[in-house]
Amino acid sequence: MFSRELKKGSTELLVLSLLEAEPRHGYDLGKSIERRSGGRLRLRIASLYPMLVRLENRGLIRGRWIERPGERRRRYYRLTPEGRKVLQRERATWKEFMAAVNAVVGHGHA
Amino acid sequence: MHDFRRFVRERLSLPRLRAGREAEIVEDLAQQLEDCYRAAIDRGASEEEAVAAAQREIPDWHALARELSASEARDRQPGDVRAADRLETRAASSAAPGGGGGPLRFFSEALADGLHGLRLFLKRPGFTAAVVVTLALGIGASTAMFTVLNAVLLRPLPFPDPERLVRVWESNPERGMTQFSVSQPNFLDFREQGTTAFEQLAATQSRPQNLGGGGGAEAERVRTLAVTRDFLPLLGVRPILGRDFLPEEDKPGQGEAVAVITKGLWQRRFGGDEALVGRTIVLDEVPTTVVGIVPEFHWGTFEVFVPLRPDPAGNRSDHRLGVYGRLKPGTTIEQARTELAGVAARLGVAYPVSNEGWTVTLMSFFDWAVPEESRRGLSLLLGAVALVLVIACANVAGLLLARAAGRGREIAIRASIGASRARLIRQLLVESILLACTGGALGLLAAHWGVGALAAAAADALPRADEITLDARVVLFTTGLSILTGLLFGLAPALHATRVDVLRTLKEGTAGGGGGRQRARSALVIGEVALSLVLLFAVGLLLRSLAVLVDVPPGFDTRNLLTASLTLPDSRYPSMKEFTAFRERLLGRLEGLPGVVSASVASGLPMDGNGTMMEVYPEGGTVHGDGPAPSAQWRLVSPGYFHTLGIPLLRGRDLDDRDLTPEGQLAGAVVSEALVKQCWPGQDPIGRQFHPWGAKNPPITIVGLAGDVRLFSPDQDPGPAVYLLFGRWNPMQIAVRTQGDPMALAGLLRGEVAGLDPGVPVAQVRTMDDLFDDTTAPRRFTMTLLAAFAAAALILSAIGLFGLLAYLVTQRTHDIGVRLALGARRRDILGLIVGHAMTLTWIGIGAGLAGALAITGWIRSLLFGVGPRDPLTLAATAAVIAVTALLACWIPARRAARIDPIEALRYE
Repeated sequence: MFSRELKKGSTELLVLSLLEAEPRHGYDLGKSIERRSGGRLRLRIASLYPMLVRLENRGLIRGRWIERPGERRRRYYRLTPEGRKVLQRERATWKEFMAAVNAVVGHGHA
Repeated sequence: MHDFRRFVRERLSLPRLRAGREAEIVEDLAQQLEDCYRAAIDRGASEEEAVAAAQREIPDWHALARELSASEARDRQPGDVRAADRLETRAASSAAPGGGGGPLRFFSEALADGLHGLRLFLKRPGFTAAVVVTLALGIGASTAMFTVLNAVLLRPLPFPDPERLVRVWESNPERGMTQFSVSQPNFLDFREQGTTAFEQLAATQSRPQNLGGGGGAEAERVRTLAVTRDFLPLLGVRPILGRDFLPEEDKPGQGEAVAVITKGLWQRRFGGDEALVGRTIVLDEVPTTVVGIVPEFHWGTFEVFVPLRPDPAGNRSDHRLGVYGRLKPGTTIEQARTELAGVAARLGVAYPVSNEGWTVTLMSFFDWAVPEESRRGLSLLLGAVALVLVIACANVAGLLLARAAGRGREIAIRASIGASRARLIRQLLVESILLACTGGALGLLAAHWGVGALAAAAADALPRADEITLDARVVLFTTGLSILTGLLFGLAPALHATRVDVLRTLKEGTAGGGGGRQRARSALVIGEVALSLVLLFAVGLLLRSLAVLVDVPPGFDTRNLLTASLTLPDSRYPSMKEFTAFRERLLGRLEGLPGVVSASVASGLPMDGNGTMMEVYPEGGTVHGDGPAPSAQWRLVSPGYFHTLGIPLLRGRDLDDRDLTPEGQLAGAVVSEALVKQCWPGQDPIGRQFHPWGAKNPPITIVGLAGDVRLFSPDQDPGPAVYLLFGRWNPMQIAVRTQGDPMALAGLLRGEVAGLDPGVPVAQVRTMDDLFDDTTAPRRFTMTLLAAFAAAALILSAIGLFGLLAYLVTQRTHDIGVRLALGARRRDILGLIVGHAMTLTWIGIGAGLAGALAITGWIRSLLFGVGPRDPLTLAATAAVIAVTALLACWIPARRAARIDPIEALRYE
């Protein structure tokens, strides 16, 4: 498991990335993160849900109640245009950050 | 099947959220928990295991509730952003089709900004109150000060065409007399020959009179002004009943005695009886016909006006008249001066004995009514209040900077959705101005309440104090000042807040540039400390001046001295004989009273504001080169006067009957040391002679030498003085030396006078300490106000420092926790915070010292006995500031030292 700090910082990026492709509901988001990280990242509702509320309040995602055929009523979250802009920038920053970290870490190994 | 909605509702309490929003959250969480539950069932878990799995998703409901509430409260701005955007869109669409975009759009957008700001303020009442109260203090003080300035300096004098009114004096530059009263024949010549420049020229002479009793009323002393016929018309005063004086009533001779009285006296004394006009009242025992009633007007406290009847055959050396003129339209004061100076020069040739060397001085009414000294004091106070306002602005700017941290995200979002920087700055400025105007409205209200007290305090200290009221100009000033203030304190934080790194702000959750903001706030605090020091230093200097002044030995003993004034009517006291008899009986009775040490009379007492001057021509003495004869103040005093006032008699003897012949011929005099220094330096003056008033007058022999007395105010060096034996003089001033509280004897004094002559009222019963205080009233007024402003500045600066440190401690809680965890002692933490505060303070003190030294030129003229760079005052001021700073940083520092490292680290 990764440190709580690291997770918190990157969760926003994870959520925004997952919502980029399609709207998802809360439980689905948590499961998708767990699945895509091969079970290494596991977010409880207690952690994930406040994040969703925060992102929504900041206008980066928007939730809407949707009832699909054969399913219960659920709140689906989708990316807003603002969220899309922010995601692009955060993703670029993340890549830069990772590149920088890799450069340092790689350097240390060499 | 488990009811997760109920399950959530029972555990999650979000009282501060809208009901709809809370329901939405409950529903969403319930659905997610049910998803977990169903997933577990699908994996083959039992009912209980599935419920337990769902429950494990949210281990701490309180923490969740806290986080959701905080997030909702903190991040609600985006909701408002949406609202503001809607308004913006609406504003844009309303402007677009009409094509008349410009100002309409600007105002509707500004209105939207204002509404948005208003909602934010209502949501943060604590912050809003702190800002508004600070501003109300600054703007209120400024408004009050401006109200005074407006009444005293800006409003025209309350007479028609006041700019054409001038005051005229005779002057004798050679003798150093620049503003001297005018003699009767000279006035008549000025009036007759100065017709090119003047529309009217009038003269007055103050003449206290006794208004006789009648119909059961007691006799009382009234303030009477003898005036020439032009005086009331010159000031634009018209009778409300009856008439003004006729030209023939203003001629010397045996004309009928007439008087005009004010509405106040008419109502107070005669019950507003309209039949009074044409009837007689008794003034100084003379039946006098009341010919008219005039409304109250701004001219001293005179209640009765009688014709002056200037005498063309009068003594040209007897200078007693106050002269006032109304210039013809278009005439300058310089032209008028030239014309009257020409008249004076001709008089100098025609009457060399009395008029040689005499010319005229003219001054506009305004310059005369509001002397330079008052203007200087007022501008100092206005400067001081401006500093207080600047400090208040700095404080508010600091608060706004701190708040900008919380608003960084909102601004970043608005920027990211396309709001231009100018648009953002405008929004923030509209908010600042909104705050400032709220503060301004409160300040105006406070000023409205405070102006009465201010006017009362100014009554003895400022000219025109009775005219101090709020008017439209004051309201306009306050409005303008509020807007300006909003711009002043709002601009820097607005520029700062909108220079955001959108990405970083959004990512970090708080605004970036914390370091810059910290620096900006530190700079503000330093500035506040510096300005407070300047103000406090000015107060310190004035305080020390006052202390020095009060300690200046006036040359006599001011304590336990009762003073009063009375006028003996000519009809029953026609000569010196009656005067002397009255005086001796009165003083005998007074000295017989228990608690009275001694009593005396004089033509004038120290600090009573009256002066009488003579030229002294010493026989066998030296006069500096060929220069003019020395001038001296002269007073008529009764024997024992020096003893009563506590003036040391240094040599020779006191005055007695030998010094005034029964024919009224002056024979002996007591003179002051200052006169001896001028006329007979280094010599024994006793037995020497001098000619008073003129070189041809019979000489007077010096019989005694008295100590110097400051006759007019403690800050005026004592000049030469001549004391002559009291023969006959009105009004007669009484001085009574008492053992205890002088005022306790006031009633007895009145009783003794009434016992001697019930027709002689006693007036102006006051203690010498009061008279003394009057002379320092302007100083005390300036100093008291300045002290109040300095206190406000000091408190505001302390609050500014406190706010900055409290914020710093909060920001650095984690840092401090780490330090403590790593073994730092609490004393070290205390030292860290206090050290930081004191560094800022010392920089501020340094800057303030420079500022204090820069204002020396400004304040020098208001000081007495202390230099404008007085090091002791400077050091004391710095010490007060440093101690205040220590107090201000104590609470934040203690809070920092008490941080629980475990709690602090967990918090992060």
